[in-house]
Amino acid sequence: MPEKTILEARHLDKYFYDPVKFHVLKDINLRVEEGEFVSIVGSSGSGKSTLLYTLSSLDTDYEGEVIIDQTALRSLSNDDLARLRNRSIGFIFQSHYLLADFTAIENILLPGLKLGKRSKPDLLRAALEKMDLLGIRDQADKAVNTLSGGQQQRVAIARALINDPKIIFCDEPTGNLDSGNARIVFDLLKDLAHNYKQTILMVTHDESYQTDRQIRLHDGRVVD
Amino acid sequence: MRDSPLFKIVWAHLTGRKRQTLVSILGVMFGITVFIFQAGMITGLQNYFVEKTIQSTPHIQISNETTASEKPVAAKAYPENRDIWFSIRNQKDRLEEDKIKDGLQIASLLENHPEVYGVSPSLTSQAIFKLGVLDVSAIVHGVDILRENRLFNLEKDIVQGSVIRLETVNNGLILGSGLAEKLGANLNDNLNIVSPNGVSLPMKVVGILSTGLRDLDDQRAYSSLRNAQKLMKAQSSHITDISIKLRNIDKAPELADEFENRFGYRAVDWKEKNAAVFSVFKIQNIVTYLVILSILLVSGFGIFNILTMMIYEKMTDIAILKAIGYTDKDIRRIFLSEAMLIGLAGGVLGLITGLVISIIAASIPFRIEGFVSSERLNINFNPLFYTIAFIFGLLTTAIAGLLPARKAAKVDPLHIIRNQ
Repeated sequence: MPEKTILEARHLDKYFYDPVKFHVLKDINLRVEEGEFVSIVGSSGSGKSTLLYTLSSLDTDYEGEVIIDQTALRSLSNDDLARLRNRSIGFIFQSHYLLADFTAIENILLPGLKLGKRSKPDLLRAALEKMDLLGIRDQADKAVNTLSGGQQQRVAIARALINDPKIIFCDEPTGNLDSGNARIVFDLLKDLAHNYKQTILMVTHDESYQTDRQIRLHDGRVVD
Repeated sequence: MRDSPLFKIVWAHLTGRKRQTLVSILGVMFGITVFIFQAGMITGLQNYFVEKTIQSTPHIQISNETTASEKPVAAKAYPENRDIWFSIRNQKDRLEEDKIKDGLQIASLLENHPEVYGVSPSLTSQAIFKLGVLDVSAIVHGVDILRENRLFNLEKDIVQGSVIRLETVNNGLILGSGLAEKLGANLNDNLNIVSPNGVSLPMKVVGILSTGLRDLDDQRAYSSLRNAQKLMKAQSSHITDISIKLRNIDKAPELADEFENRFGYRAVDWKEKNAAVFSVFKIQNIVTYLVILSILLVSGFGIFNILTMMIYEKMTDIAILKAIGYTDKDIRRIFLSEAMLIGLAGGVLGLITGLVISIIAASIPFRIEGFVSSERLNINFNPLFYTIAFIFGLLTTAIAGLLPARKAAKVDPLHIIRNQ
């Protein structure tokens, strides 16, 4: 199977201007291929989270090129970026960011309903499938604030998966979890990557997580 | 719509803060209720007055206005010269009669005018009404009662006695209800009328009339033209006023001008005669609109506040919605919809309560004594007010929602997520 590039960064530079001008990312070039599970590691302040947000279209203030699934992000308007995120990108953050007004399954459905490609019953079936996969099916109709931290993070993963994205960006997905739950969540991500060919780019400070490839960042530069 | 995730979010926000949502709905509702009731009541009264005026007073009245002293003749000789002073003391005017010369001929000419529905010539004079020890000053209106009745449908307003007895009873007199009350006069009572000329006539009350227009009811008595002329020591052709009713009331001003030019007497149309009242109406209407504006402004601020607080509370929700693909427009729509839903709910409730209160108020017996007297509130149920109130309500809530909605749309998800 020929490898296909999902994400590419070319000569990426980024500056912070507040409080003083600071060169955060320095000439970053990287590629993530389809089905790869890649982690970005580095010490705190190395710019790894900044890199993730720049690559994932949330941060648009950079120099250079970011290309996701053959589309240069710079060419897209704000609304186009939102549609791209909806269709092709999943997010998992350190906090789950679930909407407290909704049940677990309603949270998972949110990106799917926005995309509007599938009928409601199809979407529900897909959501339950994802919940099954993540072992939280029995939590579907519960209010999210009644779930445990690990369950909440798994609901967030299901939400990221619902539109079958090209790539999932994770920012310290296990950062708020105890070591047991952290292990479960990481194993789930690994499982998604290996058994379902899900492309994942994960930022973590914990280098013990074994991913397909590690990108090490030091002072805003890719080392290795 | 119900299945749309945006609507679900809107619904969750509104039901999540039930009390505040309710308060802002009540605010809008209150503004609209007050407006509907107030506008209905005020314009209802105004319409009642106009209706009564059109019915019971002439559309155009021709009379000979006797003007006060003219300038001295000597002053006329040197019109522009300010260096010359005149001193004329105790100037007395030549006796000017207020009669309309050839009035009956003018009346019959007018009767044939295509725009004129009917004409009634009359002789009007101040007089003192004496009953027992009571003296009341009022106006005697000498009329051909059949013509007058055709114009003003007096029969409908008669509360005691009958109109036709003015013809059949010699020295018959119909009193306005307010005047009868002042005199303490009842049907078939005898009383004396004394004219400014000193002529005294014994009269008999054959009817009591209530038009609903206070000016008329408190001041006026009808007698036959003949008796009024007797009272004024005048000839049988002597009349002072010609009342005209038109087929089309809107033509009153232009026809009044036409008649004035044609006959050389002052012709006043009903709008001009009641100009003071109409200017009061205008102010009332302005006040009504100011009231709804201020109430809706206050509820608009309430809505603005609630949405602004909601946005701060739901900042991370907004951020994550944007991260998972909701556009700025979607977010703006969420908060705008919340404002509009509050406006819609408040508007509908306001229309209903306004209507209900109006119906209740219209059915309660309530004695009004003002320009007009009536047994109950005359409330105007014109759908225009309901439309205006509803549009006003939606407009203010939309405007109140616009700023917070734009603010929500501008939330930068990166900023929120990175700083948590």
